[in-house]
Amino acid sequence: MSVFLDWLRSILLGSAILTAALAAASPAQAQTGGARAPNECATCHGGLSDAAFVAPAVAFRGGDVHQERGFTCADCHGGDPTVANKDQAKAPETGYTGIPRGTDQIAVCARCHSDAAFMRGFAPRQRVDQASEYAVSVHGIRLAEGDLNVATCASCHGAHGIRTASDARSPVFPTNVAATCASCHSSESHMAGYELPDGSPLPTTQRAEHEMSAHYEALTERNDLSAPTCNDCHGNHGAAPPGVRSVANVCGTCHAVFATKFETSVHSFVFEAGCVECHGNHAIVAPPPEMLGTSEDAVCSQCHGGDDDPGFLGARQMRAGRDRLRDEIARTADLIERARVAGMEVGDEVLALGEVRNHLVLARTEMHAFTPETVQPIIDEGLSMLTEIERAGEDALDELRFRRRGLAVSLGAILLFVVALALKIRQIDRRRLGAAD
Amino acid sequence: MERQKQKEERASGLDTPVERRTFLDAVLGFGIVSSAAAILYPVWRFLIPPASGEPATASAVAARLAEVQPNTGILFRFGSTPGLLVRDPNGELRAFSAVCTHLDCTVQYAADTSQIWCACHNGFYDLAGNVVSGPPPRPLEQFAVDVRGEPGEEEVVVSRV
Amino acid sequence: MMQERVLDWLDERLDLSSLRHFIAEKKVPIHAHEIWYYLGGLTLFLFAIQVASGILLILYYRPSAEEAYESVQFIVSEVQFGWLIRNVHSWSANLLIAVAFAHFFSVFLLKSYRRPRELTWVTGMLLLFLMLGFGFSGYLLPWNELAFFATKVGTGMAGAVPIIGDGLMRVLRGGDDVTGATLSRFYGLHIAILPALTTLLVAGHLLLVQRQGMSVPLEIERRARAGKRIPDMPFFPNYVLRDVLAWYVAIALLAALAAFYPWELGRKADAFAPVPPGIRPEWYFLATFHTLKMLPAYILGIEGEQIGVLGMGAAAAFLVFVPFLDRRVSRGEPSPLFTLIALFGLAYLVVFTIVGHYAE
Repeated sequence: MSVFLDWLRSILLGSAILTAALAAASPAQAQTGGARAPNECATCHGGLSDAAFVAPAVAFRGGDVHQERGFTCADCHGGDPTVANKDQAKAPETGYTGIPRGTDQIAVCARCHSDAAFMRGFAPRQRVDQASEYAVSVHGIRLAEGDLNVATCASCHGAHGIRTASDARSPVFPTNVAATCASCHSSESHMAGYELPDGSPLPTTQRAEHEMSAHYEALTERNDLSAPTCNDCHGNHGAAPPGVRSVANVCGTCHAVFATKFETSVHSFVFEAGCVECHGNHAIVAPPPEMLGTSEDAVCSQCHGGDDDPGFLGARQMRAGRDRLRDEIARTADLIERARVAGMEVGDEVLALGEVRNHLVLARTEMHAFTPETVQPIIDEGLSMLTEIERAGEDALDELRFRRRGLAVSLGAILLFVVALALKIRQIDRRRLGAAD
Repeated sequence: MERQKQKEERASGLDTPVERRTFLDAVLGFGIVSSAAAILYPVWRFLIPPASGEPATASAVAARLAEVQPNTGILFRFGSTPGLLVRDPNGELRAFSAVCTHLDCTVQYAADTSQIWCACHNGFYDLAGNVVSGPPPRPLEQFAVDVRGEPGEEEVVVSRV
Repeated sequence: MMQERVLDWLDERLDLSSLRHFIAEKKVPIHAHEIWYYLGGLTLFLFAIQVASGILLILYYRPSAEEAYESVQFIVSEVQFGWLIRNVHSWSANLLIAVAFAHFFSVFLLKSYRRPRELTWVTGMLLLFLMLGFGFSGYLLPWNELAFFATKVGTGMAGAVPIIGDGLMRVLRGGDDVTGATLSRFYGLHIAILPALTTLLVAGHLLLVQRQGMSVPLEIERRARAGKRIPDMPFFPNYVLRDVLAWYVAIALLAALAAFYPWELGRKADAFAPVPPGIRPEWYFLATFHTLKMLPAYILGIEGEQIGVLGMGAAAAFLVFVPFLDRRVSRGEPSPLFTLIALFGLAYLVVFTIVGHYAE
């Protein structure tokens, strides 16, 4: 009996120690306290029947960056998260504010997100100027004027299932940004009443146009997250159109060389809209070859025309030069390929052809200075390299012809031998077979 | 030719068949020797290894060590693409594919910043091949570098990792 | 005199007297169909060229998916006369198979397979299959686009064999797909396994031919039995010189083909590229390939391809056992049925090769 009691005692002691250890080892969810803070708000709301009340609780508990760090509903909405009774939880003395609206909403987020000392404890590298940026944005200015139609923090980031911007499910992840902006900006009903500075209604075609662009293709098809979407040109929180005169600067943050060349050109003084003048602002496609030149579908001929127009002549010259280089490259590449396929060694030539293709790229870049005198040397250098390559290609084909001639000679010798052998056979036949018979 | 031979036979009796036999034999002998030579000569040349050693798929000789000064880079041919051999300011050798990962222009070494630069759209790479600035989306492919040969005649051999 | 002294020296050690007597006495019959005699020797000669040029290529070729193509490129462009050796090897392969088929059909139509030459026929048929194996395995070795996909299609058809098909395909491919493993396997087949088997079979085939002498067509045999003497020529030097003449003509043809119609290298194989449209195997497989393509998807509930492959297997087996199946000819009687079968087979192969070539 005593053995049994001893055994029972040790079991109970062991379980108690184990339970205590497990309790102590439970991860501290919030850095603002040891054990996880209770969130009765979410528990109660999660059990309600009205979907509008249930959804926030479900979203918050289903994966939210604030919830993961120990914040509760009360941290934004006020109230007492420790009690399950609705009246007690939302009593006035608890500081319950309900759903924040208008500039109040910005204040709720900014209370933490503009506090550098506070944010240091969670994400030291994160910026803390979003609210001040927002204040000077079109959205922020209108909100301050009382327009509740505009985007606020929650419009883009969500309110309850907030994920970090690097999370692919977040509405502000690069591939999702266009859809988030378009949820308002592509809606005719939502944008009704807003106007451009010149009085015309604000367009709602930007997203459709953007989806035709090379930037969109890079982002969605090549998964190049460095490709720009709405916020890269318009700004994140200080969202506004870049301002017509600064367009070249904005494009130039990535297309640096083109922007530099353009700044030196005569067009930078003439074009109000800079890069946009020729390339568009949202439907920016890879420039087709016909874009440069003096033909009808060329962009140059929209302003330039006539032989007395130096711009017209320049466009024609640059187009002709570029086309010539491109055609010569194709022709020489064909020659080299013929030699290669026939088995000749043309590795050096293939390499050199790559160099000439570089020149084509450089010419297209240089064109943005709109001075044919700087483009022509590049074209000419490319063409002279091509003459060398062509010579090497012809040499290779000559070697091929030489081999064939050499073999034709050996062939002749062999055939001569064959004839002699035939005669010999006839001779032997006459002797041996004649004798045998 | 047949009638000619018959005429000769009748004309000169027993001697001529012997003469003709020798002539034909001479032609045949010469034919055998020359055709043997025509076959064996290419085979002999084939067996002698060519100057370029072996197919340059996996490795290539980039340059002589003496030709590469510190803080310089030289382009060389690696298979059918260009390669860049860089000797950094400390004297260490590195090699990369010289094909820019943006739009395939050929990169070069920029001695003033000790970085690799692409002239087409101002892309910069550091000496680990990583992109520092500009449009390139991926780092440069890096190759292994070895030095071999007699002292004073060393060659730099670049090979795929 | 020099050769006499060498022969005497060897004779002292090896006793070549019986061999010398044999060669001196060996005779080759002369008749209207004697021209077909040369095809066998020509096949052997072309095979010897394949061995010689193949051995030379082995010195530079690298049998891995990463290096095979480049090594062939290297041979053809950097190695002195590499282009010549490679082109001779490629052209001679085609010529070899063409001549082997001609030899096969001539023997089939002349009924030389009849008693007592059944074993010669069997070894010969097996050798023909081995030559096709050489062609199939060798074709992949440059690892270019066409070869890669042709191999994919060809080995895929092995999968159509019922029951053992999948296993057979895996063994052929060295895996589920055509990869570097397939290349290694085909290389081993091409330079070791098939040559070893060929050596044994050729030795047997030649031994039988020498022991039994040349066969003659049925009518001539009957005339001989009736007492009429068949004219003949000494094997050495008359027949041998004629053989050598044929071989030299073959060399001339090969040299011309190598110089004026060099074999393309094409593009390196890329496993992830789509199959080029109109892909098809080399001409000697076109007839069978096109037949399989033309078969309907299902015949009497069984997959068409399976029926096709089985049919071909049955045809091959039939051919091997022809001497035992042709009762009439073994009795010495004319056998028009088998003549018809041979002509039908020839017509089928020719027509389907042409159709296969011009089909999309």
